[in-house]
Amino acid sequence: MWLYIVRRLILLVPIIIGVMTITFVLVSALPVTDRLTASFGDPSPKAPWIYEPTLAPGTGPCPGPPNNKSCPNPVYNRDIAILGLNQPIFVQWGIYIYHSFTFNWGTVSNHSSAGLLLKPIQGLPVIQVLGWYLPYTIELAILSLLIILAVSIPLGNLAAVNRNRPVDQAARIMSFSGFALPGFLLASLVLAGALIGIGSSVGYVVHTPWCPSGELLYQELTGSWPSTSCFGGIGGAVGYPSWLVNGIYTTPTGFPTIDALIHGYYWLAFDTIVRMLLPALVIAFGTIAILLRFVRNSMLEVMNLDFVRTARSEGIPEKTVVSRHAGRNSLNVTITVMGLLFAFFIGGFPIIEDVFHLNGVGLILAYSVQNTAGPIDYALVFGTTLLFTFIVVFANIIVDVLYAYLDPRVRLG
Amino acid sequence: MIGRTGETGPTEPEPVGPSPDKAKAAAPVRRPLRGSPRLAQYKRTWYFLRRNTLAMVGLGVLVLFLVIALYAAWFQPGLPWGQLNDFCSTNQGNGAPNDCVPGQAQICTYAQGTTAPHAGCYQTPSAYPSVIPPTLTFAHGVGPLPLGSLTVLPTSTLSYSIYQGLLRGIDWTLIISVSIVAGGALAGLFLGAISGYFGGVVDEVIMRIVDIFLSIPQVLFVIIVVAVFSSTSHSIAGLDATATDVLLVIVGFMAVWWPFYTRLVRGQVLVTREQKYVEAARASGASRGRIISRHIVPNSVYPVFIQMSLDVGTVPLFLAALAFLGFKFFPTQYFPEVGVIAALSVTNLQGFLDGCQVGICYIPWWQILIPGLTLFAYAISVNFLADGLRDALDPRLRR
Amino acid sequence: MAVSARSPASAPSDGPGPATADAPLPEETAQPSVTPGEQEPILAIKDLRTYFYTYDGVVKALDGVSFKVRRGETTGLVGETGCGKSVTAFSVTRLVPDPPGRIMGGRIEFDGANLLWQIDREAKFKPVKNTPRVKVRRYFRRIKAGNDRITAVRGRRISMIFQEPSTAMNPVFTIANQLGEVLLLHRGVEIIDEMLNASPNAPSAGAALDALIAAATQRNREAIATAARQLGEAVHSMSFGTEAAQLARAPTTDPERLRGAIVRAMRRLHVSSSQKTYLRFRRQELVLRRELSAVYLNEMRTEKPDHPGTRRVRNAILRLRASHFYYRLWGIRGRINRPMQTELFWRTVRLLEGVSIANPSQVARGYPHELSGGMLQRVMIAMALSSDPDVLIADEPTTALDVTIQAQILDLMQDLRHRVGSAVLLITHDLAVIAEVADRVCVMYAGQIVEQGRVSDVFRQPMHPYTQGLLSSIPRFDQPDKQLSSIPGSVPNLITPPSGCRFHPRCPYAMPVCKGERPPTTLEGPDHSVACYLYHGPVAPE
Repeated sequence: MWLYIVRRLILLVPIIIGVMTITFVLVSALPVTDRLTASFGDPSPKAPWIYEPTLAPGTGPCPGPPNNKSCPNPVYNRDIAILGLNQPIFVQWGIYIYHSFTFNWGTVSNHSSAGLLLKPIQGLPVIQVLGWYLPYTIELAILSLLIILAVSIPLGNLAAVNRNRPVDQAARIMSFSGFALPGFLLASLVLAGALIGIGSSVGYVVHTPWCPSGELLYQELTGSWPSTSCFGGIGGAVGYPSWLVNGIYTTPTGFPTIDALIHGYYWLAFDTIVRMLLPALVIAFGTIAILLRFVRNSMLEVMNLDFVRTARSEGIPEKTVVSRHAGRNSLNVTITVMGLLFAFFIGGFPIIEDVFHLNGVGLILAYSVQNTAGPIDYALVFGTTLLFTFIVVFANIIVDVLYAYLDPRVRLG
Repeated sequence: MIGRTGETGPTEPEPVGPSPDKAKAAAPVRRPLRGSPRLAQYKRTWYFLRRNTLAMVGLGVLVLFLVIALYAAWFQPGLPWGQLNDFCSTNQGNGAPNDCVPGQAQICTYAQGTTAPHAGCYQTPSAYPSVIPPTLTFAHGVGPLPLGSLTVLPTSTLSYSIYQGLLRGIDWTLIISVSIVAGGALAGLFLGAISGYFGGVVDEVIMRIVDIFLSIPQVLFVIIVVAVFSSTSHSIAGLDATATDVLLVIVGFMAVWWPFYTRLVRGQVLVTREQKYVEAARASGASRGRIISRHIVPNSVYPVFIQMSLDVGTVPLFLAALAFLGFKFFPTQYFPEVGVIAALSVTNLQGFLDGCQVGICYIPWWQILIPGLTLFAYAISVNFLADGLRDALDPRLRR
Repeated sequence: MAVSARSPASAPSDGPGPATADAPLPEETAQPSVTPGEQEPILAIKDLRTYFYTYDGVVKALDGVSFKVRRGETTGLVGETGCGKSVTAFSVTRLVPDPPGRIMGGRIEFDGANLLWQIDREAKFKPVKNTPRVKVRRYFRRIKAGNDRITAVRGRRISMIFQEPSTAMNPVFTIANQLGEVLLLHRGVEIIDEMLNASPNAPSAGAALDALIAAATQRNREAIATAARQLGEAVHSMSFGTEAAQLARAPTTDPERLRGAIVRAMRRLHVSSSQKTYLRFRRQELVLRRELSAVYLNEMRTEKPDHPGTRRVRNAILRLRASHFYYRLWGIRGRINRPMQTELFWRTVRLLEGVSIANPSQVARGYPHELSGGMLQRVMIAMALSSDPDVLIADEPTTALDVTIQAQILDLMQDLRHRVGSAVLLITHDLAVIAEVADRVCVMYAGQIVEQGRVSDVFRQPMHPYTQGLLSSIPRFDQPDKQLSSIPGSVPNLITPPSGCRFHPRCPYAMPVCKGERPPTTLEGPDHSVACYLYHGPVAPE
């Protein structure tokens, strides 16, 4: 079994290189100025000439004799050399792969809509920014996955066993509506509904145990902890706790829930999870819609297999046959499909995080794409895409390992 | 049945258990058919489809959409290309202020019943002076008044008619999604057939590439493809901005969609190429291309149909998601496409929710629900149809 | 016809290891091989009709099948592929896939109970105009109730083994897991009783242990087996006997280490009080389940619904489980189950020894895909016979195996059957197997029984033209130049079967009356009946 895991991990590398190759192909289609900006950041107002190939006379240092009509820009040339842009495409590819593997993913440009974020991120390395925001996304993903598996597997089993009966029809309706509803629509409607529903009964300023002096309901339903609207509490007038670095990054682990538990702020940990519950439900709804059909179909197939008949003929009660024998076997297909769906599942994160203002990597992507103040921030977009792809590949590895654990026939191969 | 064309006559008895295979084993003669077995297959499929109420509902709704699209196209005949820009209005002629920024593209409007200040101005209805209907080409065309109007910006004086937008939008939606799906399916069919039939190194290479593409989340990939190529695409001669942008979106989506079809077709081809008639064709000396095109592809194509019908419903949802993120892949954010309109309205919702805190919740629900419901109705009816088709074509689930 | 006792098969080299001569099934009852035939038949199928409702019409797979299976006998059911033999087997225990199949009617009498009681209430039928289709309306509650009722006999009293052993077991669970599950279900009460009464400190255990160690050092297999059995008897745990024997057969010969290992293994026989509570709870649950089976069986016997009875027992089970829900919690579950799992494991090993599988403990720990077809079929036989059933239905058990393995499996089945004493319904299309193994035979054609009787009678004097055709189509060694004869024509379409006698299109003696009504079954000799208009004997009693 360990051999299997090691082999899967080794196969990981070509896929990652393949993904990087694709992004490389797209990156190399960009104009040179954009590439330089993405890698090294915008030119500062004091030196706006750094990405010009040649300098106009009088601007910046100009090596060579004075009054030289065309002087090459040393900064430009240095940056071009670092990126290898004057070398054949294969060398560029190699340099790009090397940079990607060493997490040298560029710099956030100055015209990202980063002012809308908790902490301005312009000019920082992309990988650092993503590292701050990644744990929130991972927490949200774990919560959503738990909900997805806890709902779709039992419901799919029930739908398969009671085929064409009310449970099956209800599951079908849920599956269809989840599939056809766009994520942003559901998210916004749920948010609006929750806001109006809770607000009309409780009021628009809520006093929760973790924010006794009250906070706006909208800020409680949206946004990651720490809430910026808790009057007199965390993040408000008092200021952030010491272990909440930069207002985003928490120490020691970086995961807000775990860190809150470590430092003893149990209510804050609970608050974090509560804030993530509504978005997790919305994400789960979309993925459940697809997964449910597969669970149902695989269960239908498994129920027709021979060993189910054998188990029945042994007098094993039907419930046990379905849940233990058939269920364990259909789990394989379910896990595999979940692995395939992972890309779709993760792809919905930018939208949900945008609607609910959660400090995740998807939010970064959403803001970097909105380009209200100028051209798109390519560094962030490519970096986020690469990160998401890594997550998907990693999830697929886990799925494969889980599959080998569940199905002993696979362990040899 | 899938993969079984060309087989008529008695099948040889197989060792069976108590299953409907007995019917096959003991049935040397089927009911007399008019026409080929394929025709009977279609009739059988249609029978199962007809029994499925949901699928019929879906089909009905889709036909309705198609009729609306054709009606809108008739209304404004000609291809839906044209110059679409973000705009602001000047010279409204009814005392409304001018909200234009210097250098911004401007549109001139005048109220119904008054005279146009100069040529090229749009007439707005007198009861709703700031409503400018989205048109295919932003040429002059005003229809009956909207079910409601979509406020572009809460403080703007311009509005955008949902009704008109949806009329035009269904056109665009259908065109874009059908071309994306068709292109992706063709590419996938081609590559999948090659990969499945030849096997070996070709298969491995193509499947690895497919795996790589499938690891990238779709939304993100489209974003980066369109972002990277949007500047270069504008320089393609002969087409204006709208056309190039739409084409770029289509190509970008096709780049995302082809792996699904490739994998699907490959799986089916792997099954089909083991069939006896393929062996017979090869034994009789048919060339590989002929075998692929005449035998393998037609029999592997059923799951592709199902997937295509599903994807026609999914693509507008992706477009809407992209539009919601604020990504400008069309020349204007007010592009009349159902998904884009829905995204636009939901984006505005966020602004209204902030006002909710103060006390009175004013949310123009019709602005959000009507485009959203149209998108939902479109997607779900396509889903119903695709699901019914899948159930009708699947031999195992047949009752 | 005398039933010959057979000795345990000595196997060829690549097959299973030598059967331990006295590794009995733990479930060996005191019942000797029954004198066949004189008593009431254990299973009497009367006028069984099973149809399949498909898109193309109604497949009348079984249309009035009647035969009997007598206690202690092997009854063969023989016929061409597609004639409905397997459907008959599945109809007995209601394993027919319900859409599209339905058991339409008839009586299956097992031990006085009608297994098909209330089957006609489970569905209603409505033909669709101008098509051969029929709409079936199924009442799911009634179907579920019927399935609940039949679980009283499934596995417990009527066991089945199937054709394809490699797919018959669940691939994700170990063999020990699956066999243990079945053992617990049917023999759990006895097993738990033994566990609770195990006495590891019995006085005679010491002497038996010494004897075992002595035998182990001498490496004498028979002595090891005997000594291990005596040790097991001494501590009142037969499964421990197996475990000790396994340990004693290990290659290392150090007696002290062996003693230490066996003493360590004996520790599992000490049952702590919390364990005892858990075991008693499980026992109580199993007792209640048996009671429920008895209630269901009684319902089928008296053909009167007993709602208060079933409800009472079911509620008792629910209350019992609810009051002990904490045993299912995740942390506790594994730990509290372990002694029983070990016990079941060693019992499984014992079972596998009984069916002559070499290296049974290794096989038990393995997965089904690691075993060959022959070994898997042995495992299936072990599973089926572990509950000491009254009837064993074997649906083409050797068709998927090659001939040498086939012989071994048949010998094994004979041997075990004599020890356990159950009747066998052997379904096959291979006449040679029937001639070898069966006492009586029923010949089936297109969903109807055409001839039945003792094997010697039917084979020496086949009466029905179909049987004659079958027997004459067997190639004979001593007539190599004779042309192979076959029955002309092919198996009929069961959606539109031929009227009257279904064989008449292919029958060389067909008469006009054969097309009319179905021929009655007439008794033509002592215990030899046939359904053909060629014969005019008295109508056979049902």
